[in-house]
Amino acid sequence: MENAGRTQPVLTAQAAGLVGCRACGRVNPQRAKVCARCGGELCPNDPAALQRVWAWLAAGLIAYVPANIYPMLRTSTLGRTSENTLIGGVVELFSHGAYGVGLIVFVASIVIPVAKFIAIAYLAVSVRRPSVPGDHKRLVLFEVVEFIGRWSMIDVFVVAILSALVQLDFAASINPGAAAVSFALSVAFTMLAAQSFDPRLIWNANERVHA
Amino acid sequence: MTQPEPAEMKVSGPRPSMWRNLSLVWLVPVLALAVSLGVAWKAYRDRGVLINITFANAAGIVEGETTVRFRDVVVGHVENVGFGRDLSQVVVSARIDKEIAPYLDEDASFWVVRPEVSARGISGLSTVLSGVYIEGAWDQQAGTPRSEFEGADRPPLVQPGRAGRRITLRTDDGSMISEGAPVLYRGIEVGRLEQPRLTLTGSNIVVDAFIEAPHDRRINSATRFWDTSGFSVSIGAGGLSLDVDSLASLVAGGIEFDTIFDGGRPVSSGAVFDIYPDEATARRTAFARTLSGGVAVSVAFDESVAGLTNGAAVQYGGIRVGEVSSLNALVQNETGAPEVRLVANLLLDPVLLGLPAGAGEAEVLDFLEQAVANGLRARLAAAGLFSSDLIVELVSLEDAAPASFDRDAEPYPSLPSAPSDLPDFTATAEGVLERINELPVEELLDQAIRTMASIENLASDESTRKTPAAAVALLEETRALVADPAIQALPAELRAVIADLQATIAELREGRAMANLAEALDQVNAAASNIATASEDVPALIEEIRAVTAKVNSLEAEEMVRTANRLMNSFDALVGTEDARALPEALTGALGEVRTTLTDLRQGGLVENANATMASAREAAEAVAAATEGLPELSARLEQLVVQSEALIAAYGDSSDFNAETLDALREVKTAARAVSQLARLIERNPNSIVFGK
Repeated sequence: MENAGRTQPVLTAQAAGLVGCRACGRVNPQRAKVCARCGGELCPNDPAALQRVWAWLAAGLIAYVPANIYPMLRTSTLGRTSENTLIGGVVELFSHGAYGVGLIVFVASIVIPVAKFIAIAYLAVSVRRPSVPGDHKRLVLFEVVEFIGRWSMIDVFVVAILSALVQLDFAASINPGAAAVSFALSVAFTMLAAQSFDPRLIWNANERVHA
Repeated sequence: MTQPEPAEMKVSGPRPSMWRNLSLVWLVPVLALAVSLGVAWKAYRDRGVLINITFANAAGIVEGETTVRFRDVVVGHVENVGFGRDLSQVVVSARIDKEIAPYLDEDASFWVVRPEVSARGISGLSTVLSGVYIEGAWDQQAGTPRSEFEGADRPPLVQPGRAGRRITLRTDDGSMISEGAPVLYRGIEVGRLEQPRLTLTGSNIVVDAFIEAPHDRRINSATRFWDTSGFSVSIGAGGLSLDVDSLASLVAGGIEFDTIFDGGRPVSSGAVFDIYPDEATARRTAFARTLSGGVAVSVAFDESVAGLTNGAAVQYGGIRVGEVSSLNALVQNETGAPEVRLVANLLLDPVLLGLPAGAGEAEVLDFLEQAVANGLRARLAAAGLFSSDLIVELVSLEDAAPASFDRDAEPYPSLPSAPSDLPDFTATAEGVLERINELPVEELLDQAIRTMASIENLASDESTRKTPAAAVALLEETRALVADPAIQALPAELRAVIADLQATIAELREGRAMANLAEALDQVNAAASNIATASEDVPALIEEIRAVTAKVNSLEAEEMVRTANRLMNSFDALVGTEDARALPEALTGALGEVRTTLTDLRQGGLVENANATMASAREAAEAVAAATEGLPELSARLEQLVVQSEALIAAYGDSSDFNAETLDALREVKTAARAVSQLARLIERNPNSIVFGK
């Protein structure tokens, strides 16, 4: 019990020349390419896999730019057409006094995507830096990012539902703008980036330090 | 003791190169970047051209929303609405699609489309809900692009780039031509008028018109334009004519055109046409053009050509064969004294004359020459019964004075004229009118009015109304009277009475009673005056006086009057007797009897006698009146006499015998005097009573 309170130098699967399946958890020999139980592809614990995270993250960022520049919604009311971008829509909602709705839209379409970009970039950078403490906190951060990713699609859902519902010809009609596609792509790329991040890297880095 | 094993060699492969290790996933962001950049670059490349349009105001224009349209297709959006440098104008910045921009050269125009209600209809209704938009118009040729434009207040009437032809119309009255008025072809709008403007000299009004394709093909040199504004009413030889065109042209005016003869030459864009006041005029003018190939001849008229105008018809056998092209006076000096003749130049259409198509001037002149030899003459005729307009008539007169067709006359071959029968008709009509005028209609009417008035008076008179009844009654009475046997004897009786009357009057006249009486009284007077001196003669005098008095008393005037009175009474009674009234009445019989009686009467000389009698009676009455004039004098004298007598008697004392007798005498004298006085009063009161007894 003398070791309590400090991290024991435990034998990791990697050290034992094994690799765990990310799907079913079975430990396979390091040379195996496919899990012996579930048949899932076994990805070697390779820091080079971080490339995929960065690639997806870059794609998400690139897609996020037009999502903010182009209009999200095109609303036609009695022949008058107006287009709103994400920020423009938020500003308009605030100016109309709809602070609650405005806040939700602002958080969902601006705060969360930007926070995800930052969080994923931080995680990807931190695994390269062995001195960064708080492995557990970073794992929680990763899980939050992965969990919240699907909710980022809420904006796209709103646009899709409105476009489908409000088609009253001349009286009123709502059509998705170019930004809707960009935004959906951005969210999808971000989710893929989170998916590509291998949380084992978080503590693998420490092992390298201790070893 | 285990040998320390050498540390396990850590074998690691050569570090793979970065590029070797590069994941394929990197293709995704690269692709995304490429797409984004591509989209951005395309957006930038396709970004439209910013143009500035200035308007007087920006009513309804909203930044970012208002569109710019060309043929109702959105070609741009308004990006900014601001002011010009001195706030005098609104500058609307609009981004126009790149493909359109090259066409925005100097002929491009922009205007704001708003709801508009005008005489020509309602437009821009869609903008009520969707808001205004800016409409642009330009032609199909790309020119030097411009970025500054001046917006128009209203749509240009003719939008650039529309197929059609622009022509210029000329008129001298612009009151019925307004901008935007329709140009009609057989009632269908095929174009519009632009803003009318005065020419530099101010003598004409010029207005551009745009005729849309394909109707512009109908414009050629044979086209005539006329005003269809409002409505026109004309009364002419052809009767009453009322022309009303479409409601729009009634309000805004309008021009109609038609190609009214064949063979017009094509005209270029910008050709000038005249606007004629009405269709008839326009068509008439076209006739002259038809006759551009016509043959000109001249006719000299000896009579007035008042009423003959340029364009008046030339008729041959009732068919129009040409028209008067000009009228002028020509001084001829044939007989030494200058003589003014009025010359009408005619244009004759060979085809209308019945000559084969393509007949030239020579054929026409040949024909005319022959026709003149056969008696063809030109003469004036009235265009209509009530019209003072004249036409020229070509007639064949059998008894025409010999004349020839002067082919070589200047300026045109001369056609002989014949005196028209026009003045005769006019003269006859004038004569009739004059006679009618001279009829004493007014006097006749006056007389008629007077006659009617008197007839009315007569008819409305009470006595007239009673006349029939009275006449019947009179006739009945007369008949009764006449039928009475007594009346048969009446003439004789009357005659006797009149004879008596005459005798009486004659007696009266002969007797000179009054004169005698006066004389006697004079004598009495004289005697009385002598009594004072010779009283011994008094008794004798008294006797004389008594005798005189008695004589006066026996004058029997009263008796005569009473007799006449009785006569009249009996006449009355006779007429009023029951018998007379009860006699049967039969108008015809009565009339017959009356007639016979009257005849009898006339034969019997009764009327003459009665007339004579009446005349005598009148004479007698006059005599009586003359006599009675003396009566007051007589009574005055008698009274004077009595007074003198009394004075005389008073001188003789009361109780003497003489006195008593004298008193008696005097009393008698007094009675006589009273009687005379009575008579005089009676006569005075009613002089006729002595005749009629009443």
